[in-house]
Amino acid sequence: MSLCFDLGEEQLMVRDGVRKLLARFAPRRRELRQAMYRREFPTELWAAVADAGFMGAMIPEAYGGTNMGIMSMVFLSEEMAAFGVSHPLFALTSMDALCIVRGASEEMKRAWLPEIAAGRRKLAFAVTEADAGTNTFRISTMAKRDGDSFLLTGEKQWITAADCADYILVVARTTSRHDCDALGLPRAHGLTLFLVDPRAEGVTLTPMATGSIEGARQFTVTFDNARVPAENIIGEVDQGALPLFLALNPERILIAATIVGVTEYCLEIACDYARERKVFRNAPIGSYQAIQHPLAQVKIQQEATRLMTWRAATSFDRGDDLAQTGVWSNMAKYMASDLGVFAVDRTIQTLGGNGFDQEIGVIQLWEGMRLFKTAPISNEMILNFLAEQTLGLPRSY
Amino acid sequence: MKILATVKRVFDTDGKPKLTADAKLDVSSIDCKLNPFDEYGVEEAVRLQEKGIATEVVICCVGPEEAQKEMRTALAMGGDRGLLVKVDNTESLDTLSIAKILAAVVKKEKPDLVILGKLSTDSENNQVGQMLAELTGYPQATFAFKLTPDAAGGWAIVGREVDGGTSDVKVKLPAVITADLRLNEPRYASLPGIMKAKKKPLEITTPEALGVSVKPAIVGIGYELPPARKAGIKVASVAELVDKLKNEAKVIS
Ligand SMILES: Cc1cc2nc3c(=O)[nH]c(=O)nc-3n(C[C@H](O)[C@H](O)[C@H](O)COP(=O)(O)OP(=O)(O)OC[C@H]3O[C@@H](n4cnc5c(N)ncnc54)[C@H](O)[C@@H]3O)c2cc1C
Ligand SMILES: Cc1cc2nc3c(=O)[nH]c(=O)nc-3n(C[C@H](O)[C@H](O)[C@H](O)COP(=O)(O)OP(=O)(O)OC[C@H]3O[C@@H](n4cnc5c(N)ncnc54)[C@H](O)[C@@H]3O)c2cc1C
Repeated sequence: MSLCFDLGEEQLMVRDGVRKLLARFAPRRRELRQAMYRREFPTELWAAVADAGFMGAMIPEAYGGTNMGIMSMVFLSEEMAAFGVSHPLFALTSMDALCIVRGASEEMKRAWLPEIAAGRRKLAFAVTEADAGTNTFRISTMAKRDGDSFLLTGEKQWITAADCADYILVVARTTSRHDCDALGLPRAHGLTLFLVDPRAEGVTLTPMATGSIEGARQFTVTFDNARVPAENIIGEVDQGALPLFLALNPERILIAATIVGVTEYCLEIACDYARERKVFRNAPIGSYQAIQHPLAQVKIQQEATRLMTWRAATSFDRGDDLAQTGVWSNMAKYMASDLGVFAVDRTIQTLGGNGFDQEIGVIQLWEGMRLFKTAPISNEMILNFLAEQTLGLPRSY
Repeated sequence: MKILATVKRVFDTDGKPKLTADAKLDVSSIDCKLNPFDEYGVEEAVRLQEKGIATEVVICCVGPEEAQKEMRTALAMGGDRGLLVKVDNTESLDTLSIAKILAAVVKKEKPDLVILGKLSTDSENNQVGQMLAELTGYPQATFAFKLTPDAAGGWAIVGREVDGGTSDVKVKLPAVITADLRLNEPRYASLPGIMKAKKKPLEITTPEALGVSVKPAIVGIGYELPPARKAGIKVASVAELVDKLKNEAKVIS
């Protein structure tokens, strides 16, 4: 394993491309950022990013993508967040697309992947239920076969951007936990992945009063005998757990990259302010160690997190085994979730009262950055995983 | 119609060059990039190809081995193939040397249009296009903001930015064009573009192989930093500003 992260020629071209793409939006940065607070979907940005081929970065060439890898999405996530405009659907769509790449039939790949690569299908992701958060295997949303389709019944919670998505990847049970136990099957058995049209009959979206991520809202998604064609199943019935778990590392990697970018955004604001703002005598507050040292600490943590994120991304792109990539991805997400809170906290502190001014746009990041200690996977579960995987300590749950 | 679009590897002007003790430039910590003006030239060539007016677009660079990176960046925008005339000692390349090498390339490739950037942001000479026109005997239209070739008629109408505004000229093909900033808005490389660029042929040749031997007429002997700027002043009103410009700075009368 190489520890050196000199970027390759193509990677530099990709990053340069993202920067140029965002530079086109620079005159409207403020306006785009304000739309984020209002939780509006950045339609034009999505179109530009899709046109540049990013939604196909993790899709093979045979299905309309480029297979350039998650590193491209890491650059995209980082640069967009540093610009002040990031949206969860970029990562969620990539992650769902990966489930299809890794798990779906040839026919389904042909039908779905070119559409996703072209940016014409935005995908949300629904696993969490009121009684099944961290423990995915406890979900109780059931899908019953009815001819050549399935009928879904149950309720998902916290589903991000369900309203803007063209389809939601829904994890449902096709064999109940009770039946798995009775048949002596492992608890991972019986999960099936469905691509569900949120506008279909029997599907109801109810907005939740959540704080958190900019640009998107969360929804309760209720299925009342919602009919889903069998051709919308990713892979085999009852065998959804594997493709699902293959897609979780990328989500963690892209969240970590986003936080590294948000940190860049914060540092830009904090340092610009600290260089100018004078409170006592003629010295800018940036000259006080009480202000500059914590910002330097943020910078150290940011660089460490960036390296860990790139390491995880490289591991993923190289096709390391799942557990190995899982170790780096979880480490990156854990470090990033601490970094995000720290970066926003120190930026608010540097800005004094202005840190709370919604026009300046830092206070809004507080909830979003805090979220990542809890979701998509809590930091406790990451520590559980790492203690077991890397230290050989026994599982507590 | 065949187009030769030239590109140069230049230092990123955001980088800060250092001076060594013996008054040489130390640029080792500065990134290189594609000369921004060349992006306009490449973009125009690629658009003409997309419109079906150009049949072939060749990206040509005179520069070191590493310039393949900038050539791939251009090829990621479009074009069919690359031609690098490898000169590792870029210090030895003054504008006339580059123009002579390009003239040899033109002789070999026989393009109908040669599109260059109006200048490169490292040395800002604004000479190569004009020199190339002289050496090849082609007509030139510099500082183009509009380019409308009529391949069948053997002409191109070129809108030029000139001191007093703009002027349109009609040049006979083959011709040399230099691109200005308002010619177009260059695209950024897309992921599929980057993938395709990887597979495009990139030929490497040398001045010797083209039958050119160049000796620079201009050699950098030593460099020094410009004097540090003194802090400016704030004026209270436009009247005061005008007064100071007139009576203190004496730049207006
Ligand atoms: C803003 C937001 C957006 C979301 N978006 C989505 C989405 O798009 N799709 C989706 O499916 N879900 C989404 N979620 C749900 C999210 O993934 C869950 O909230 C998360 O997985 C935690 O589950 P939970 O809320 O049920 O917490 P619980 O599982 O109830 O956990 C509560 C606490 O107990 C701790 N805990 C649990 N088990 C253990 C253990 N064994 N050892 C140590 N500690 C433990 C947890 O770490 C946590 O701190 C979102 C949530 C939020 C808040
Ligand atoms: C929600 C809210 C409600 C408020 N309500 C009121 C109110 O009702 N009435 C009222 O009068 N004011 C109110 N304020 C203003 C508040 O008291 C000020 O914001 C606070 O005193 C900080 O001043 P400042 O914003 O100018 O920060 P600054 O003085 O500019 O400080 C910026 C940063 O520099 C640091 N700093 C400054 N000097 C030094 C130094 N010498 N050494 C080390 N660090 C230094 C500060 O600690 C801070 O982190 C409110 C502010 C907010 C956000």
